[in-house]
Amino acid sequence: MDAASSGAQTEPAPAAGAPERPSDEEILAQQNLIRAEQAQRSEYVGNEEPLSALKEEYINGNQNFVQKISKLESAYGRFRRTRGDGNCFFRGFVYAYLEGLLLGRDTAECSRITAVVQGWKMRLVEGGFQELVFEDAMDLLLDQVASVSKPDSGSGPQHEQLLINMRDDTVSNMIVMFLRLVTSCEVQRREDHFFPFIMGMYDEPPPTVELFCQRFVEPMGEESDHLHIVAVTDALQIPVRVVYLDSSGHPGGGSGAGGADLDATVHDFVPDACPPGTQPRVHLLYRPGHYDILYPR
Amino acid sequence: MAKTLSSVAQRRIQSELTEWMRSPPEGCCLESCEPMTSWVVVMQGPEGHSRLYADEVFRLRIDFGEQYPLDPPDVVFLAPAPIHPHIYSNGHICLDILYSGNNGGWSPALTMSKVVLSLRSMLASATEKKKPPGDAEYCARVGNRSPKLSRWQFEDDKV
Repeated sequence: MDAASSGAQTEPAPAAGAPERPSDEEILAQQNLIRAEQAQRSEYVGNEEPLSALKEEYINGNQNFVQKISKLESAYGRFRRTRGDGNCFFRGFVYAYLEGLLLGRDTAECSRITAVVQGWKMRLVEGGFQELVFEDAMDLLLDQVASVSKPDSGSGPQHEQLLINMRDDTVSNMIVMFLRLVTSCEVQRREDHFFPFIMGMYDEPPPTVELFCQRFVEPMGEESDHLHIVAVTDALQIPVRVVYLDSSGHPGGGSGAGGADLDATVHDFVPDACPPGTQPRVHLLYRPGHYDILYPR
Repeated sequence: MAKTLSSVAQRRIQSELTEWMRSPPEGCCLESCEPMTSWVVVMQGPEGHSRLYADEVFRLRIDFGEQYPLDPPDVVFLAPAPIHPHIYSNGHICLDILYSGNNGGWSPALTMSKVVLSLRSMLASATEKKKPPGDAEYCARVGNRSPKLSRWQFEDDKV
């Protein structure tokens, strides 16, 4: 690229007849407004809703969505929205996981994940991450695990507290940040495994895995792809099921050959070290560009 | 700018200060960190290949916001800013790691030590002392507002 073309964008004098371009200030003000509206409309993690509420959204739109959601309703009764801020995969993933620990009273899994997260301290340091950049975020995640694993008289207050924490700017975002650093470190540790995927993802891929991670994994708000999911589920050994919902009209699932009804595509991310047949701990619903949380019946 | 910091931001800045004191980045020293949310760094011009800045000393201001390290701090050169193709006369710096969103390359894994070293190496790798194109126009337009309010294009991070 030409060096002269980099730099702060200048505003060209509007040509006769051409619409005037908005100024930086106007664009940023608009972006901030959209963000503020988005924040007001949706929490980082929303409330549980029946899946029928999702179907409502498409009732007058693409009928493939409606059909696929109708079929999904046999397996999933409810869902929970996450804010579409580019962190929705990580946030949905960690919230659903922690909530699962809480509601399942799964103390064995709490101990396992605590040990795994603590084990990442060494790996991150070995991977070149300074302890000071992740220690607080790691503690915030461990705090959440500890608080959901505490015996409690009823699940009410604890559940509510988890929701409050995961809606908190600092707590929620620092935990997302920690997961991003772990993901980055995992991708770089297994460079040979991940490099071909990175090459396949972009027309002009970043030249190194390290640069890819600095640019597309570590920054907040960078959207997650298949690769991020593989890396973080492997790193923490947490199996995840993603249900892909799009407008495509191909009969899927293999069972409805010739049938008119459509199925959402299901993809399980099962870490290699998990025994075959391990059930997913987290279920996410993917619509192009966004992840929400699904609740199996 | 509001200076109410989250405790996470405070702890992080404190840790970075401690780390900086223990092992300051080459060619840089801290002139002021009072208040803790606003640092002034003195940077000795690097030797570099062509010694363009070898005899100069520059000052940088780093202002941390309450969402640090999730959001990058404001980083600008204080006048007189180095004459460099990616540094505007008002001190604004065109370097992706200083900005988040869009094309920005800020990562919470970066520390101020790493950032100032990147800036120093940006100076060291310059081949020509030249202001960015449109410098006067840009400075007249944006004045001293935060560089984060500009839309940046990072097409050439090697100078």
